[in-house]
Amino acid sequence: MEMELIERYIYAVTYRLHEKQRKDIEQELRGLIEDMLDDRLQGRAPSRKDVEEVLQELGNPRLLADQYRGYKRYLISPEMFPFYLTVMKIVLASIGLGMFVAFCVQSIMNPASVLDHFVNSLVTFLNGCLQGFAWVTIIFGLIEYAGVKKDVLNRSVAWKPADLPELPDHQSQIKRSDPIASIIFTILFAVLISFSFDLLGIWRFQDGESASVVPFFNESVMQGFLPFIWIVLALTLLKDCIKLITRKWSVKLLSFDIIISLASLVLLLFMFSDTSIWNNSFMEQIEQIAHIPRNSEDYESLLAIWNASKSVTVYAAVIVMLFAIGSSAYKMFRLIKK
Amino acid sequence: MDIHETLGSLTQELRRGTLIIGVLSQLSEPQYGYSLVTVLAEKGIHIDPSTLYPLLRRLEKQGLLESRWDTNEARPRKYYLISADGAEVYKQLCEEWNSMKQSLDSLLIGGDGHGDGVN
Repeated sequence: MEMELIERYIYAVTYRLHEKQRKDIEQELRGLIEDMLDDRLQGRAPSRKDVEEVLQELGNPRLLADQYRGYKRYLISPEMFPFYLTVMKIVLASIGLGMFVAFCVQSIMNPASVLDHFVNSLVTFLNGCLQGFAWVTIIFGLIEYAGVKKDVLNRSVAWKPADLPELPDHQSQIKRSDPIASIIFTILFAVLISFSFDLLGIWRFQDGESASVVPFFNESVMQGFLPFIWIVLALTLLKDCIKLITRKWSVKLLSFDIIISLASLVLLLFMFSDTSIWNNSFMEQIEQIAHIPRNSEDYESLLAIWNASKSVTVYAAVIVMLFAIGSSAYKMFRLIKK
Repeated sequence: MDIHETLGSLTQELRRGTLIIGVLSQLSEPQYGYSLVTVLAEKGIHIDPSTLYPLLRRLEKQGLLESRWDTNEARPRKYYLISADGAEVYKQLCEEWNSMKQSLDSLLIGGDGHGDGVN
């Protein structure tokens, strides 16, 4: 009975330790406890109370194991926890907002089955939150594991006066709202493109019936690009987390930013390099649901608009991305020059 | 935090630094953990086994101590002994300690006329 208590204590210490040390520490601890008992008993047989007192003296097995290990173990360390919490809140709020928008859109399009949508949305919402929670935790766990915190947060290891942060400078400072807005936008975009892709199109409402949509894009072609889009979005999220933590532009961070923009640009050009990405029966479908006869004036002008907007969209996107790259490059140029 | 708690934690902090010198000083002969607790206690240094045992292991990992298991007796025990590196470190720590003690003494006793001179 008394022995069992001792074994339980030893187990409570050693199972928290590295396998290689376990056997050794186990034997040493057992010897120690017996020595302590001998010391106190002077030849008497040990009672349960004696054993309890000795174990009490040794203290909480978790703390003893921490002492043996020499450091504490964390998935997310106290230094990282505030950042973890901030990102988690933003991600969960964005997922909630995205799902809510999707729910509203579906309800407008198909008001007859609001209840169905609501139940479905609730399930997707819970699923999305769990996913978001898991991914944020995994990303921060990896950052923790890689010891990034040591470089970013804990420069005291090999500190030089040159490491002192610059006095607030509007060029290199990052406003908190910038990465937060980007995270929200990225997640909304991810939700849209992953779950409600077919909603991007021309909608037509008919009385009492569910609305019909003529999609802009060819769904199966777009599906093929989805993994690449996700990768770019994930990199963007990573960049925003780093921005939120460091709150300051550095050459490294700007390079990473430019690389992501370049990757998005390449992906965009690749996606739109041939016209199969567009819904090529767009005009026929419009013709059917909107009852616009071919060869009519309306049809002609619609066709012209459709063709023009295809190229305008791509040009606009390319210009926005080039502008982003240029602005990052300019920031980098100023940073290097200083 | 009341003043006794503050005093307690400050005293503990003060002791912690001296423990390693105390432990190294007693290990020119092999000792196992609990015998070291007893020896140190006899000389007025009280250290919890739960502090000493992990400390011995850490010093061994740092190369200051060597260890071997003695399994001849009824109760197998791990004996620790100071290593060559450990002896060198011990010597230098003693020098450090003595010079620190001297400086502090001159502050406390007020030899230069500035200290409060509790003694």
